[in-house]
Parts: sequence; structure tokens; C-alpha cells
Amino acid sequence: MSATENRAIRSVCIVGGGSAGWLTAGLIAARHGPDLAVTLVESVSRGTIGVGEGTWPTMRNTLRKIGIGETDFMRFCHASFKQGAKFARWRTGAADDFYYHPLVLPEGFPDLDLAPYWNAQAAAPGNGVPSFSDAVCFQEALCEQSLAPKLMTSPEYAGVANYAYHLDAVKLGELLARHCVDTLGVTHIDDEIVDVTLAENGDVAAVVGKRNGPIAADLYVDCTGFAARLLGEALGVPFIDRSDVLFIDRAMAVQLPVEEDSPIASHTISTAQKHGWIWDIGLPTRRGIGYVWSTRHAGADRVEEELAAYVGPGFAKLTPREIPIRSGHRELFWKNNVVAVGLAAGFLEPLEASALVLIELSADYIATSMPATCGAMDFVARRFNTMTRYRWDRIIEFLKLHYILSEREDTAFWRDNRDPATIPQDLQDQLALWRDNPPGEHDFASAHEMFPAASYQYVLYGMGFRTRPRAGQLAQRDAAEDAFTRTAAMKRKLTGMMPTNRALLGKLAQHRFPTL
Amino acid sequence: MNLVQLTRSDHAGLRIDPAKAAASAAAIHLVPLVADEIRKVAGQFPVFLAKDGETGQFYPAALMGLEPQENLFWNGTALEADVLPLNLLRLPFFIGGEGDEAVICVDMASPAIDPAGPCPIVTEDGGESDYFRAVQAMLGRLAQGRNATRRFVDLALEHQVVREMKLDLAFHDGSTSLLTGLYGVDEVALGRARSAIADFGDLMILAAMCLSLDHVAGLVRRKNARLAAQAAWFTPSA
Repeated sequence: MSATENRAIRSVCIVGGGSAGWLTAGLIAARHGPDLAVTLVESVSRGTIGVGEGTWPTMRNTLRKIGIGETDFMRFCHASFKQGAKFARWRTGAADDFYYHPLVLPEGFPDLDLAPYWNAQAAAPGNGVPSFSDAVCFQEALCEQSLAPKLMTSPEYAGVANYAYHLDAVKLGELLARHCVDTLGVTHIDDEIVDVTLAENGDVAAVVGKRNGPIAADLYVDCTGFAARLLGEALGVPFIDRSDVLFIDRAMAVQLPVEEDSPIASHTISTAQKHGWIWDIGLPTRRGIGYVWSTRHAGADRVEEELAAYVGPGFAKLTPREIPIRSGHRELFWKNNVVAVGLAAGFLEPLEASALVLIELSADYIATSMPATCGAMDFVARRFNTMTRYRWDRIIEFLKLHYILSEREDTAFWRDNRDPATIPQDLQDQLALWRDNPPGEHDFASAHEMFPAASYQYVLYGMGFRTRPRAGQLAQRDAAEDAFTRTAAMKRKLTGMMPTNRALLGKLAQHRFPTL
Repeated sequence: MNLVQLTRSDHAGLRIDPAKAAASAAAIHLVPLVADEIRKVAGQFPVFLAKDGETGQFYPAALMGLEPQENLFWNGTALEADVLPLNLLRLPFFIGGEGDEAVICVDMASPAIDPAGPCPIVTEDGGESDYFRAVQAMLGRLAQGRNATRRFVDLALEHQVVREMKLDLAFHDGSTSLLTGLYGVDEVALGRARSAIADFGDLMILAAMCLSLDHVAGLVRRKNARLAAQAAWFTPSA
């Protein structure tokens, strides 16, 4: 073994701030303490894009690991609770067309699968059966009334119903930066990177700051955004464009101030439009609203018209901001001593809020699998690449699933999305199987799945897909009936006892969630 | 309950029967405490921390029943206890408002308001009665104890000696109950934290809370006796 291979890994340099840079710095520093010198270098004046204002429930554990309390986090980041997503007008485009993808699993899942029983009843026309998400899970009822997933007495990061957050991503970066520097001992350098120098073996030898000169480390994390200064530019790892599957390539975003006592939605609202869809994320202080669309199908003027109609009279006072999106990811995510996290690794439309969760998963893997020596890095990198590629592929398939079942005929955007040439073969094969077997854990065998089978059920049956139930799948009729009854009882109980988001966040301004 | 502010003009003639005031506690299973009475109360009742439903903040409380609205110390006419918390002894008087704004209120719907009661609040010569001075002293301890109690609760949480205690109980008649929402001082955790707790008084209160958990057995005994009495009443005599 050469001297280089035996060299201990003692320092990590994260290039770029934002949610990606600071989440990575926080998770690494919290886990390794003084064993590892963590430096984050960013050009503070450069600013961040601030994507991903919706999280997954994983964010609760991530912040806990980093050592930030929920009360402090929610107050600082103007956060609110997210209990899932409501997809409106995706199936037929009609005004009353919607379904939910809640964060709580169907009742009894996975021991008991309610999907066949629901399919058996829903198959009869004019049956009066509630939608799948409403029949198998109580959470939609909470969302429809803007109710919170927890009580003032719920301990930090714990709730009555599973939840994630809506937040101000710029504030999240600030909070993490402060905590990383003040509490976790991360060194923060404000500098502009003007060059990246390479060693003979192809490793990055140093990033060169305009004022600080060369900054050397054993491992570099590329959080430089779309530019991918280290992994892409310096190491030449190509970008794989996935816009053949996912057409969205531009966003037009606004922030709409809200009244102090207005209801705060408990879910992300995604409303399908003619050439894409609109996200609507409610914070206590504002609603973040944006139209993501395909420039191959429509120009900005037509999109702005639809966005204005969605926002209403308040739109005239707002200045829409356009953000280019490149659907895709790097061919590799970790090469030599550089690993990319965040936009530098890739980006997809925010339909299932995958941006922040991918950052958390990547940063957590880097922190927990941090090799002790440089020699072990290649193996860790190979595993990271296989795992991360698998995750991107699964997310892309799951996002595509939202489009291919649509019955909308109004524009080329929706028709083109159903063209089999644009649908990954695995997804087509899987869909054929789901005609006879509901999505189950057998379909998702990896330890690195992004979405549980239940998520596929919510989207499939929400979009009008039906599985033909077979007798064998309907053998636990009594247990299923009990589960449907339990769901109805939970709905009655929780809608009676949970406070509104607005009321709970009002209390949170005065009091702290208890620590246990 | 009908709380009104106590004034000399309206209430000089008021007479109280303090024994009847305890009747308001017949349907209370948790009684809030101030820090400086915990050691004494913990000699009689298990003392836990519970959460205020409105604010989510912990407060110390004596447990008197094993389900909401149950007080196992109430025998129909009196509370069978040698020690009672200030919040029961002060009844039917209350503190309204906080700090400089605080005023004394009285519950005009309390059964303790009794023209034949033994305790006037104003004596014949126009001064405050000994009884009422004692009540004022108790209300004063409760009002002044707020901050000290908050500090004590924060100290207990900060030193991580508090654990959720689910009371999963079985009774002689085969019935069971599960009481949640109670947080007690854990002996092992207190042992770990003891050298970091600088004030001996704080340490003694925490130790008293920890040892008071043994009184849960006394509550179970009272519950069994109550269930047996009810069963006997339902069984027709031969």
C-alpha cells in the first residue's frame, strides 16, 4: 500500500454554502467532532438559489442529528407543517379533480394491504366510494381543514401524524451556517474560488481562493450549484440530461405576502396547468408560488398569463423571477476525492420535494461512511455512486408516473408525456404488473428506495389507475373492514382535537415545544 | 365556577366553610404545585411533571387519581390526606392576573361559601380575619413561587433527569388502566446528574419527587378498595 493510500483523512472542504453546503457541513461536523477539520468556503456575496422549500419527514431527524431544536428551527426559518401533497387537475383537468399523497401510510400497511379491497369497491360505477387517499388514511381530512399534525404538548420533532416542513430555504442556510460555525466548530471562509488544481493521480489538490490562495483538504464536497465547479468542470464528470423523460425546464416564481390570520395549508398544492404545473407552498408569512413548465411547449408569456390567473389580483404587484432548470444528474457523484451534493449532483422538478432529501441522504452517507484513509475512498465512492444513481432513477420514474396516467388531452405537453418513447422501460413493465398486483414491498427490494410502495398506490389510484383484485387478495375482509372503520374513527377524533396550523404556530411564537 | 374579584364593599360579610372547599377537588386527579412545597407534598402523593395543554410547558403536580376526573383521596365528605397542596388549601380563592396586576378572586359558586360557615374574612372590628390572612399568605406563596417553579422545572429538564412514565396498571377486579402524559424523576438519571446539580435544595426536591413515585402503589390500593366497595354494592345480599 502506498503512502498516499495510508494517509488518514483529517480534513474536509465543502465548496459552496446554501442548504446543500451547510447541511453537509452540519452532518459531518456533528458526527466527527474534533476528529475531522471541516471547512466551508463560499462567496457570500454570490447568494444562493434557494430551491426546495418543501422537505420530507427526514428533515426532522437530520436537524436533530445536527443539534438544532425544532422550536428554534421553525421560528427562524418561518417554517410550517407539511403533511403531504395535493395534486389538483392532474387527471382530467376538471375543477374538482384532485387526490392526495399524504405522509401517513395507508391504515394497516404493509401487513394489511387495503388496495385490493378499495379497488374491488371502486370498480363498481357510481358506487359512492371515497377516493383512495381519503378511504385508507386519515391525513387528507386534516389537510382539507388546514389542521396541524401535532399539539403544543407534542415533544420536539414528534407529532400525532407524520409530517415534514415548508420553510424559507435561505433562512435555513443562515440558521445552519450560524450553528455550524458557533457550535460545531466549522471554519467558514468567505472567498471566491478562482481555480481548482489537480494532483498527478487526478485528485483535487487544492481549491484556490482569490484572497486566501490554495485551500487544501483530503476530501472536497462540491456544493457549487448547477456549475459543478469541481466534479463537473475540474474532474470532467459529464451531465446526463433526463429531459427526454421529464420535460420541465423552466420555473417562474413569485412570493405572495399573506394576511396575518389567514389559514396556512398543511400540504403542498400542485395544480396541473396547460404546459406544466404550479406549486403553492404556504408559510406563516407568505405563499411561495411557481409555475414550472416545458419551454419546448410554451413561451413565458402564456405561462405568465396562467400564473397570474392562479395567483389572482395580488399578482400585479409581484415581480416574477425566472429560473432555468436542467433535468438530470452527473454520470458519477463521487470521483477521486470529490463528491457532489445538491444542484452540483443534479436537479429535477420539485414535484415530490426531492431536492433537500437527496442532500440529506447524500450528506448523511458521507458523514457515516467517511473513510479513515484515502485508500479506502475509492470503494466508498463506488458504493455511493451505485446507490445514488439508483435513487435518481427511482425518483425520475416516480415523477414520470404522475404524468403518464393523466387523461388530459388539452395540450401537446400532456399528450407528449404519455408517448411510450419517453417512459422508462422499467416503469412500463412495472405498470403492466400493477394491473394485477397492487404495488407492494416485493416491487421495491433495495435498501435505498426513495418512495415506499404506499406512495405508488397513492399516485396510481389517485390518477384513476385500477388493479383488478383477485380472490386471493381479498381473503382478509374482516380485517380490511376494521381498518376502514379505524380510519373513519381517527378522522373524527383528530379533526376534533388538532389545532389549525395558524393557531399552533401562533402559540409557538410564545412557547416552546417541550423537549420530551 | 363563577370567579369575581374580591372587594371589601361586596364581600365584607362573606363567611367560608373551608372543609367544604375541598369538594371542588373531588373530580381532580392532578393538582399543580409550586417548587417550595414539593418536598412536603411528595411525602403523601406521587409528584410528577405534566404538560399544560395550552402552552406545552411542564409543571409539577401531585397525582390523586388514576384516571382523569378521579380523586382517590376524596371520601365523599373530605380529602383523606395529612398534607394538601396550596392549590387545594386556598380554595375557594384564586389569583387573577399576573405580577403587579394580580388580584384576589373568589368563586361565588363554591360550596364553601356558606353564611353559616365558621370563618369570616372580615372580623367584627373591621380587620382581616386570621383565616383570611392565612389564605393571603398561601396566595402570596403561589404567586411568588411561579418563577422559582419555572426555574426548577427548567433545571430538571436541562439535567435530563425527567422521563415519561406510563402508568400501566392492573387492578384486583381484572380491569386495567393506562395513564399517560406523566413525567417523573428517574433515579438512575438523577444519580448521573447529581454532581452537576449545584444546589442541595434542588437536589433534595428532585430526590423527593423520585421517591414519591412509590406512592403510586398507595393509589392502586385505594383504587382496589374503591372497586371492591362498588362491586359489593352491586352484588345483591343473600
